[in-house]
Amino acid sequence: MPKVKINDVEVDVPAGTNMIEAAALAGVEIPHYCYHPNLSIAGNCRMCLVDIVGGRAPEIACNMVAREGLAIRTDTPNVKKMRQSVMEFLLVNHPLDCPICDQSGECRLQDYYMEHGNYDSRGIEEKVSKHKRQDIGDKIVLDAERCVQCSRCVRFGDEVTETGDLRLMNRGDHTEIGMFPGERLEHHYQGNLADICPVGALTNKDFRFQRRVWYLRETASVCNGCATGCNIQVCHQEGEVFRYLPRRNDAVNKSWMCDHGRDLVPGIAGLNRILRSKVDGQAVDVEAALSSLAARLKAAKTVGVVLGNRATNEGNWALLQAVRKNLPNAKVYAVAGNDPGSVEFADKLLIDADKNPNSAGVRLLAGVDGRVGDAADLGSALGSIDLLLVLQDDVLGRLAGHGKPAAVAFLGVSKNATSEAANILIPVCHTVEMDGSYVNRTGRVQRLRRAVTAAGDALPAWLVLERLGAKLGAAPGTGMVATAFNAMAKVVPAMKGMEFKALGDAGLPLAVEPAAVAATEALA
Amino acid sequence: MDFPRILSGNWDKPNSHTLAVARSCGTYSRVEMALKKAPSELIQIVKDSGLRGRGGAGFPTGMKWSFVPGPEKRGNKPVYLLCNADESEPGTFKDRYCMWKDPHLMIEGMIIAAHAIGCKVGYVYIRGEFRYIYDRLWEAVHEARAAGLLGENILGTGVDFQLHIHLGAGAYICGEETALISSLEGEKGQPKLKPPFPAVEGAWHCPTIVNNVETLAAVPWIIQNGAAAYKALGTEKSPGTKLFSCSGHIRKPGVYEIPLGYPMKDLLEIECGGLLPGRKLKAVIPGGSSVPVMTPEEVYKCTMDYESISTVAGSYLGSGGFIVMDDTTDLVDALTNLLRFYAHESCGQCTPCREGCGWMYHILCRVRDNCATAEDLVTLKDLADNIHSKTICFFGASAAMPVQSFLLKFKGEFLARIEAASKGIPAGSSVTSPEQRVGA
Repeated sequence: MPKVKINDVEVDVPAGTNMIEAAALAGVEIPHYCYHPNLSIAGNCRMCLVDIVGGRAPEIACNMVAREGLAIRTDTPNVKKMRQSVMEFLLVNHPLDCPICDQSGECRLQDYYMEHGNYDSRGIEEKVSKHKRQDIGDKIVLDAERCVQCSRCVRFGDEVTETGDLRLMNRGDHTEIGMFPGERLEHHYQGNLADICPVGALTNKDFRFQRRVWYLRETASVCNGCATGCNIQVCHQEGEVFRYLPRRNDAVNKSWMCDHGRDLVPGIAGLNRILRSKVDGQAVDVEAALSSLAARLKAAKTVGVVLGNRATNEGNWALLQAVRKNLPNAKVYAVAGNDPGSVEFADKLLIDADKNPNSAGVRLLAGVDGRVGDAADLGSALGSIDLLLVLQDDVLGRLAGHGKPAAVAFLGVSKNATSEAANILIPVCHTVEMDGSYVNRTGRVQRLRRAVTAAGDALPAWLVLERLGAKLGAAPGTGMVATAFNAMAKVVPAMKGMEFKALGDAGLPLAVEPAAVAATEALA
Repeated sequence: MDFPRILSGNWDKPNSHTLAVARSCGTYSRVEMALKKAPSELIQIVKDSGLRGRGGAGFPTGMKWSFVPGPEKRGNKPVYLLCNADESEPGTFKDRYCMWKDPHLMIEGMIIAAHAIGCKVGYVYIRGEFRYIYDRLWEAVHEARAAGLLGENILGTGVDFQLHIHLGAGAYICGEETALISSLEGEKGQPKLKPPFPAVEGAWHCPTIVNNVETLAAVPWIIQNGAAAYKALGTEKSPGTKLFSCSGHIRKPGVYEIPLGYPMKDLLEIECGGLLPGRKLKAVIPGGSSVPVMTPEEVYKCTMDYESISTVAGSYLGSGGFIVMDDTTDLVDALTNLLRFYAHESCGQCTPCREGCGWMYHILCRVRDNCATAEDLVTLKDLADNIHSKTICFFGASAAMPVQSFLLKFKGEFLARIEAASKGIPAGSSVTSPEQRVGA
């Protein structure tokens, strides 16, 4: 752990830390454009030039590795002047079209100019004009005039997606980012290009001109698009979600997320949502629907219960608790696989073949329970079941071609084959509408946070199931998700010692190897 | 005057570029001598000779070679020797003569250098415009290969060295060693961040030594005659001889080999034959367009070596491009012309140089076209200061130094131009038509 000094603050940093990160640890922000923690060092923006105490010339902090005794200063007149001049150079050919630029409000040129700018423009020369409004991919628009040539997008294509699609073309002040003629971005991570672009050169087609970013609030949550569980910020205003942004977590998704995940945003308030409870086609309130459900569960001879790969741990745990304590003859199933209509695509980077966000959590709880049947079991039993209670998964869609249960109760977010067949229908919350936790494919327990109010009558699944449990005869729950999680963590060995509060933004790994999580699949 | 001609001694002989003539002059006679020595011994000889890189920076060659990590540190990685033949500094045209007139001397130097650093494959990176020399170099390589001087088991010593000639695409920046490496690797010719330095991690992430043509051509003589003999030429800190490319308003432009430490005045008046009749000296750029300009007073005080030019005139010996400007020169035009070059050649990688070179050129165009104010000169100077030493490579400083030095030493001429323009007097030899922007 080398000890370095930034201005007057001494700080111990891990070996290999660069001085931008070291300064951040010391509470000093070093402005930068080209540096990105998950990309290689380019050193081209020169915004992070700092003075080295005892050094001859200023050097860039991003390419300076912390070594014992290294002391830098970021508060000298020289550093101030260097930042000011870099800002001036960056803006001399910049169009300054902030009023019509969608990056406004989250633009590094704006932010840093406020802090480090000249405020007395000397830019009277004619600006170099470059290619504007270029359609370079399904998700991305490129405006080369706004670009500061930081090459983050180039490095993203070279190092992350390994597609090598974007390039720096031409030289001198005619340098611009571009694609080879006739080529378009073809990869599934295009949205990240808009995220890492520090200025308005690369903007996201789906989000641009939808909302000024300063109106948006951000809530840290987890993507529900697949088993990877990318950490995200849900950006919303007044109950409406406008975009997902990846949130850095080097243990899961670094700073990236896929376009499929972003494409889930319109579905949150989509026409396909289940908004009202129904019993035999009649709209009722949730309480009435739960009473009917409890009565029918008690009356049915053979009850099948299906855990939800798309539901939270708390939801599945509440379901298991309700059933195991009150319906001793009920058979519980976990049905692996994707709902019909899922984007059947996987890659080595982030996109998992399993499109359910919590399959690992289901496997985990099924393993703890020890008596959970799998898809084959359910398939063969389906025709003889009197009442099938399904949590979120489109089980009937997955098992199309097998027999039909006599009656179906469905707790779900969106309409599907199972909801169409359901006699009792109860809406539950979307991922962004509730707190809770998922276990991702590597066995990391990650926390969801409620960003927006629930659509229609939807309640969190775990709350609905706690109430159902009470109606079936169990002790009433506390109605608090943290209590629900903590109670579960006490029983589940792999969650030993975990507390909901401690999951934090980065999540916690299960106390078992990921391989062990995978091994429990046989039980599921 | 008569000086030992270490580098240019064979240039006047007919067919000096052929192997037969080169061998008759003693070229390649040092190969066997060198290959029998241990690499460390060769490095020590070159270190002792005080030979400094002739590409412009003047870094001690032997020390550079010694930076290559030993086999225990570099593992299985090969070492590369690159000859920088991308001679593109305006006012410099010595390497092209070295290669055109005596390619075998450079190849001999490369064989010796390769042995010293443990390199088995070398490249000559030659400027795109030197197509005709490129062909001649390949001929020389084929001749040397056929004679057993290149390839495997050179002259039965068990030493291997393969040499390839690589033609660049004509970019000034590719003379910068890390940009040269990028270009050789097939990437866009852009400088790389240092550290790591090429000697540790260069071409294809392997230890790489980049030497100028002239530097390598000096090596055989040093091996043959010893470090002391080389040190006897030139000055204490700048030993040996150097080629100077002399151009501008002189009677005898050309390439001259003189020992370092030779008076600049003598170079101008004896070798170069003095100024044209009736002209007076106005300014000299002593080391290629990038170095600070010198006034006549400085010229008459200076000697041609690294230290004198630096201490007397705050300039550099650079690549030895000796550009003489007499009193007919409009320095506003001259500087504008220089900046046009730099604005066009900036690789565009890092901010100050990319945006600043074009900006400085635009301001100079306005000065030249009589639409500038004295305040523009303040901005110009400030821009140059903001570029100098703030960039990834030395290009930024190379563009800034002419601006800084012209404004320091000849500011009066710029102010006079602006003053005259404000009074509506057409001044100097200005081309007043709007300048077409280069590179658009």
